[in-house]
Amino acid sequence: MPKCTINGQEVEVKEGATIIEAFKKMSEDIAHYCWHPGLSVAGVCRLCMVDVEGARGPQIACNTVVREGMVITNQSEQIKDIVRWGMDFHLINHPLDCPICDQAGECGLQEQYMKFGKYDPEMGLQKVKKRKVVDLGERVVLDSERCILCSRCVRFTDEVSKTNELGIFNRGDRSEIGTYKDKPLNNKYSLNTVDICPVGALTSKDFRFRQRVWYLKNADTICNGCSTGCSVKTYYNEEGLFRVKPNHNEDVNGYWMCDEGRDLYKFANKESRLLKAKKFDGSTWEEVSAGSAVKSLSHQLLETIKETPSKVAVVYTGQFTNQEYADSLKSFDGLGVNNFYHWMNNQASKDEFDGLLIRGDKNPNTKGLQNEASKFSGLKKLENLFNELESGNIETVFVMAPENISAYPEYESHFKALSKAKNFIWMGANQTSCYESTNSSNTYLIPLKSYVEKSGTFTNHNGTDQNFNYVTTLVAGALTLSEAMTLFEGQDLDFEIRPKIYKTMKNNHFTSDRGEL
Amino acid sequence: MSYVVKQPDQLSKWYLPGILKGLGYTFKNMIKNIFGLKKMPTLNYPEEKYKYGPRFKGSHILTVKKDGSLRCTACMLCATNCPAQCISITASEHDDPEVEKYPIKYEIDVLRCVYCGFCEEACPVDAVRMGPEWQTPGLGDANFTYDIQKLAYRANLKGGIQSSLDDKERHEAGI
Repeated sequence: MPKCTINGQEVEVKEGATIIEAFKKMSEDIAHYCWHPGLSVAGVCRLCMVDVEGARGPQIACNTVVREGMVITNQSEQIKDIVRWGMDFHLINHPLDCPICDQAGECGLQEQYMKFGKYDPEMGLQKVKKRKVVDLGERVVLDSERCILCSRCVRFTDEVSKTNELGIFNRGDRSEIGTYKDKPLNNKYSLNTVDICPVGALTSKDFRFRQRVWYLKNADTICNGCSTGCSVKTYYNEEGLFRVKPNHNEDVNGYWMCDEGRDLYKFANKESRLLKAKKFDGSTWEEVSAGSAVKSLSHQLLETIKETPSKVAVVYTGQFTNQEYADSLKSFDGLGVNNFYHWMNNQASKDEFDGLLIRGDKNPNTKGLQNEASKFSGLKKLENLFNELESGNIETVFVMAPENISAYPEYESHFKALSKAKNFIWMGANQTSCYESTNSSNTYLIPLKSYVEKSGTFTNHNGTDQNFNYVTTLVAGALTLSEAMTLFEGQDLDFEIRPKIYKTMKNNHFTSDRGEL
Repeated sequence: MSYVVKQPDQLSKWYLPGILKGLGYTFKNMIKNIFGLKKMPTLNYPEEKYKYGPRFKGSHILTVKKDGSLRCTACMLCATNCPAQCISITASEHDDPEVEKYPIKYEIDVLRCVYCGFCEEACPVDAVRMGPEWQTPGLGDANFTYDIQKLAYRANLKGGIQSSLDDKERHEAGI
């Protein structure tokens, strides 16, 4: 464990660690573009220059291994001057069109040149014009004028996704990032290249031009796309969620996340949500608020359920938090109900794994559901319920429907099949057209909150409990499953001004606090 | 804390002296104005109108390029800078890769606008200006949320005001 001194402070680092890692460990400021903690060292941007006592000249911090007793500084006038002029080299061909650029506000280059005051490059010659809007693939757009050739994206496709689509073509100031002919950037992790791009060269087609980043706040949560449970950051404002980015979590996802997970903010937004509860009495639909719907449901059914609990079935999906499972299972158990069914969407492919992050089980909390249910009477297969419904043994069906309905191709057919019950209660977050075709003459649709609107715990594929906190409210009228069950039992809600928070909540910074480059 | 209480003097207790003094002042000014109309400081608006200088900062103008399309790049710096939050912009991808981004919606709610001119100051491409027009009345059903059509192509502007900044010229100059 070598020790070194960084800007006058002593620090002990791991064997083989580089100087830049020591800087990061000390949270000391050091300019860098090409170095990324999740990728190999390239040493091309030449900005992380440091003075090492006894060395012949300035060294790059990203490719120099810390040795015992090194005295390192990047605060000397000489180093500051070197970085300043290194900066100017990056700006030679960069258009500096920050106001139009989508990265403005979270751009490493912008931050640096503002810091050094190099608002105008001092190069006298004309800038080299390159291709502007290059379609790299399904999700990524390239502006090669803005690219500073740090090669992070190229190294990402080489080392992490191992698909090798990107390369640097041509030489000198005509160098450009590009794809090979007939091989677009279409891997399942392509949007990570957008995240790691330190400038606005690579942009996401989905997010491009939709919002300026300084209008967005961010908060940490857990991705609910599959059982990996990546740590993610959601970006939102009062209009809804806009994008999802990965958070560094060494134990789960490292620095990355998949493209599929980045689309998952869409089902949580207001446009695709069930905004109010709906009641169907065989002829007309009635819209009521969620709370009063559950109360009238309780009024109508609670006594019947207590008398004949064996005629009640509860269908669970793996998309709720452990706390909600525990609360609802407990209250159903208290009523004497013990027919709990597990709606598993992709039974055949649930154990698939692509070697990096994506897992076949497209539910964030299947494990949590199984754990919680094993404390009660356990889970039965959903197919059995269809038979029971046919034979008339079950009269009342509660369904805790999934929110990520794109992972449930059988969503509509199951809705129709399950609605053959006499009393049919569908608790879910999404609005779809299939609700109109219910078969039950006593149907309740109860709007539930999505994963960004509640705090709780997901248990991922290997049994790791991950807490996450409330991010924002998108549908104010929706209930959590726990709240719905409390109301159903005939109790009143114990209102909290802020939702329950299980860990200390991180402050929501505006994106000016960009974190890691 | 000390403060002064002004004691009412004996004279102001009387009603008539004060009233007569005030009426005297009124009649003095009336006679002055009747015989010296030109020196009167007020205007008979709307028959008479005050002429402001051409640099007066009134109604907003969106400038256009040489081909008549909007100069605005939808960077939203004006909307960010606006203290009244009256500007709303929706950006979109342009067919021409050189243009890249342009507003498909640019609306200013002039009833919220405080005419501070911060939008003009923030604009990096001289796309929004404050023009000399200052009378923008409307009847009950008038729309005071000005859209692109009104801001850039209203009849007063005679086909649009050209921006001082041109992308083509800048590109040719190598910037």
